Amino acid sequence: MNKDSRKWFIIFVAPALFAFIVVVLIPVIMGIIYSFTSWNGIEDKANWIGLSNYIEIIKDDKTFFSSFLFTAKFAIVSVITINVMGFVLALLVTRGLKISNGLRGIFFLPNLIGGLILGFIWQFIFTKGFDFIGAALGIDFLRGWLADPTTGFWGLVILMSWQMSGYMMVIYISGLQNIPDDIIEAAKIDGASDGQILRRIIIPLVSPAFTIGIFLTLSNSFKLYDQNLSLTAGGPYNSTEMIAMNIYNSAFKYNEFGIAQAKAVIFLIIIAAITLTQMYYSKKREVEM
Amino acid sequence: MKKKNKICTAIVSIILAILFISPFYLVLVNSFKTQKGIFSDVIGLPGESFTLNNYVEAFKHLDFIKSFTNSLLITVFSVVIIIIFTSMAAWMLVRTKSKVSIFIFLMFSASMLIPFQAVMLPLVAMAGKIHLLNPVGLVFMYLGFGTSLSVILYHGFIKSIPKEIEEAAAIDGCNKFQTFWIIVFPLLKPTTVTVSILNSMWIWNDFLLPQLVINRPEWQTIPLKMFYFFGEYSKRWNLALAGLVIAMIPIVVFYLAMQKYIIKGIVQGSVK
Amino acid sequence: MKRRKLLALTLAMTSMLTFTMTGCGKSSEVSSNDKSEKNGKTEVNIFQFKVEVAKELENAANEYMKEKPDVKINIETVGGGEDYGAALKAKFKSGKEPTIFNVGGPQDVEDWKGKLEDLTNEPWVGKVLPGMLDGVTMDGKVYGLPFSVEGYGLIYNKRIFQAAGIDGSKIDSYAKLEEAVKTIDSKIKSGALKKDFPKLEAVFEFPAKEKWVTGLHTSNAALGQEFKSSIDSYKSKTVDFKYSEGYKKLIDLQANYSPNGKSKEKLNAVDYSTQVDQGIAIERVAIVQQGNWIYGGVKAIDEKVANNLDILPMSIQGGKEDCIPVGIPMHWAINKNQSDKSKAAAKDFLNWLYTSDKGKDFVVNKFFFIPALKGYENYKPQDSLGKAIQRYIEAGKTTPWVFMGYPTAWGENVLGANIQKYLSGKMTWDELVKDSKAQWESKRK
Repeated sequence: MNKDSRKWFIIFVAPALFAFIVVVLIPVIMGIIYSFTSWNGIEDKANWIGLSNYIEIIKDDKTFFSSFLFTAKFAIVSVITINVMGFVLALLVTRGLKISNGLRGIFFLPNLIGGLILGFIWQFIFTKGFDFIGAALGIDFLRGWLADPTTGFWGLVILMSWQMSGYMMVIYISGLQNIPDDIIEAAKIDGASDGQILRRIIIPLVSPAFTIGIFLTLSNSFKLYDQNLSLTAGGPYNSTEMIAMNIYNSAFKYNEFGIAQAKAVIFLIIIAAITLTQMYYSKKREVEM
Repeated sequence: MKKKNKICTAIVSIILAILFISPFYLVLVNSFKTQKGIFSDVIGLPGESFTLNNYVEAFKHLDFIKSFTNSLLITVFSVVIIIIFTSMAAWMLVRTKSKVSIFIFLMFSASMLIPFQAVMLPLVAMAGKIHLLNPVGLVFMYLGFGTSLSVILYHGFIKSIPKEIEEAAAIDGCNKFQTFWIIVFPLLKPTTVTVSILNSMWIWNDFLLPQLVINRPEWQTIPLKMFYFFGEYSKRWNLALAGLVIAMIPIVVFYLAMQKYIIKGIVQGSVK
Repeated sequence: MKRRKLLALTLAMTSMLTFTMTGCGKSSEVSSNDKSEKNGKTEVNIFQFKVEVAKELENAANEYMKEKPDVKINIETVGGGEDYGAALKAKFKSGKEPTIFNVGGPQDVEDWKGKLEDLTNEPWVGKVLPGMLDGVTMDGKVYGLPFSVEGYGLIYNKRIFQAAGIDGSKIDSYAKLEEAVKTIDSKIKSGALKKDFPKLEAVFEFPAKEKWVTGLHTSNAALGQEFKSSIDSYKSKTVDFKYSEGYKKLIDLQANYSPNGKSKEKLNAVDYSTQVDQGIAIERVAIVQQGNWIYGGVKAIDEKVANNLDILPMSIQGGKEDCIPVGIPMHWAINKNQSDKSKAAAKDFLNWLYTSDKGKDFVVNKFFFIPALKGYENYKPQDSLGKAIQRYIEAGKTTPWVFMGYPTAWGENVLGANIQKYLSGKMTWDELVKDSKAQWESKRK
């Protein structure tokens, strides 16, 4: 890059990059340093203990890896359900129906509730709502939700899908609207069916949105904490404890801050490997206009 | 679109809409009941436990005018700043094909995976030392945290803007600043709308970061005030649900307003 | 178009600048560790966790400030009810350390010992009821002032008992308890109680989802007869489960006579709200294992029910069968690293709160606390549950709270989790005892 371009590069990128470095990068690096200590989160001094934390986690801590597996399972399932749902919703509301505006509002509403209240409402739906319907219709499967790992898992999936589909829908709408009408018109004139248009034209052209959508869902699923806490609290018997909760508990319940940071680092490395690989392959498949 | 298809689409959409909205029915219906009414019968209509008092109480307890103003200022400033600086950064990153540029982009992407709890304490420790524990510092933090998502979103859609237009502008004598703001940015409208919706969503509802940074009565945002309804044992659902409805109205209005903007964007875009 | 954009940008920048000025102004006001004076006043910053008393605490502070105009008290309450510990750590890390904060028991004292001011010579220390300072006394020094006394047991609805022909006040053994439970259960099933209590569906509700109820409180009824105090449990490298049979019986009784008696794994989804707000408060069940803290919540739902509650003992068969566990849930502590002036003002405020007449009025009548000190003869608890607790204390029928001395998170994440497994049939009671013992030992190595 010549000197002039470099000047512009800095002007354009610096503000966002600076904020990012101060607010995200430096704390992360500090966190990594803490992962090599036995800090309990309170004292002003932390003792350096090298790789002890990492070794202890890999050797002894069964809960970390079971939380990780549970979270991975959850993430994979959620990525599929949320993105399919989000895309379908985006398609539905861009067909030019009169009720589209209202629909858009409704599908997006779930994203407005968070945390405790969301957990309460869905907890109520799963335990009392399902129970009520199950008792009335004699469907035993609907009774006793959230009391065992399986229904706990699906409860979380349903909750997340409900909350995030609208979010993804907004992204897919943006992607769909970037497709010029003339291309679709041309295809119709050529005699293509709706299904063919969908498969051959729309989906490939929306692929940048898919890349983002999948990435976002993956990262949000792996980071999930609030809804995990308020819906199942990790139970029963810690079977639905996701990785963010595991790390959080290490830091704040067990006061083992160094271990928590080490877990966060291990987690980050594994996840970064997975998602960056995903992004790399997705970007290769994207079609540039 | 064929009429039959339209009707099918409409029916499917309506069924889905009902499914999506049913939890809200619970929120709304219970916000008009007394605490006793809520726990006696969570599903049914208020009936004899009907009360408007929850809304009055919630409005008071939330100190709504002040907390609304705080939430509004923080959200608006943060989102505006995020839009300005991340669109600029994303554009430059896309147009500059260099290792540095790819590295920065990957770094932004990777940071999306970091659970907030992992950086909470170091962030707060540092923020305290450099006087960031105030509303301005909070906005700065939102820029830092919002950068990754917003840059990724802009990055994806900037690719769809033909370079020829920018090159033409450069030939006409525009410098990079003018090229970006006059030519490129307007074309990014749908993405800007998306970015503003998604960011205002999480910032408006954010609890954890404001609790750490601005937990003083005169600065508190709506989510902070809402948490006063949840005590060690007693959760005042009647007030919390009414509060939730009140808090949701501004953001719903904002979202619906932005939606109209998207439609305008379609029309402009197709005239490209 | 270009000009409008520039204008908008300029406006944005200017307002940001103004914002910055005000922001900066405010942030320089907020004191760091050393600066404790503002406008010549001594600052006391309180960082506490109990939302339920936040408003009244502020009122109390205002009263105090009327008497002592050179002191400024700022109160910050952590909302949400959870994670006070995390918020406290963050608060300290941010450099804005509070003057007064909360600590629970021996583990907290150990963790925060570098920041705790020695309160042994405070005037109120001599007035604290025997045994009530055990949780915050280390190496002979006192580090906290007890918030309040709390107690828990089997809270029951007197009206339902009366209708079933049972006098709750006569129940003082496990055998009598079991008999009463069976009587009520048969009357519920026969429909005899349906007319007066249409919603009544079972004797108990058991919130196995709340691991603190099962793993800390229920267990304390048994382990509180094995250990003498939370310091005792804190120091112990092993746990015997001497009264494991009695503990098991209490759990089985509550689980078997709950609405999910025939499918106990469903209890793992039952939470506090279902047990209390949607349980005893609406007369859907007759007995819940809880403490005097539920009074406010139940009163908000049905005042008549709230005023008709009393407490049965946590009968541990083979041990003490007529006692309830009573203890201190939280303490006020003072930050050692603040200025002498701040610390003195903080100590004076706490002393005023718990020993002056005005303060006592707040503590008992506005916070609804049961104080852990003597000298409250004219300030007796007014609510039904507070009175019940007082009764047990005066009769000497209490066992101590020892769960604060359990190994970190053992009570909830080991014992509480194991009970969930036990209820779903994934673990036998013997396995539960064996595993819980082993984990206690490994955490105490």
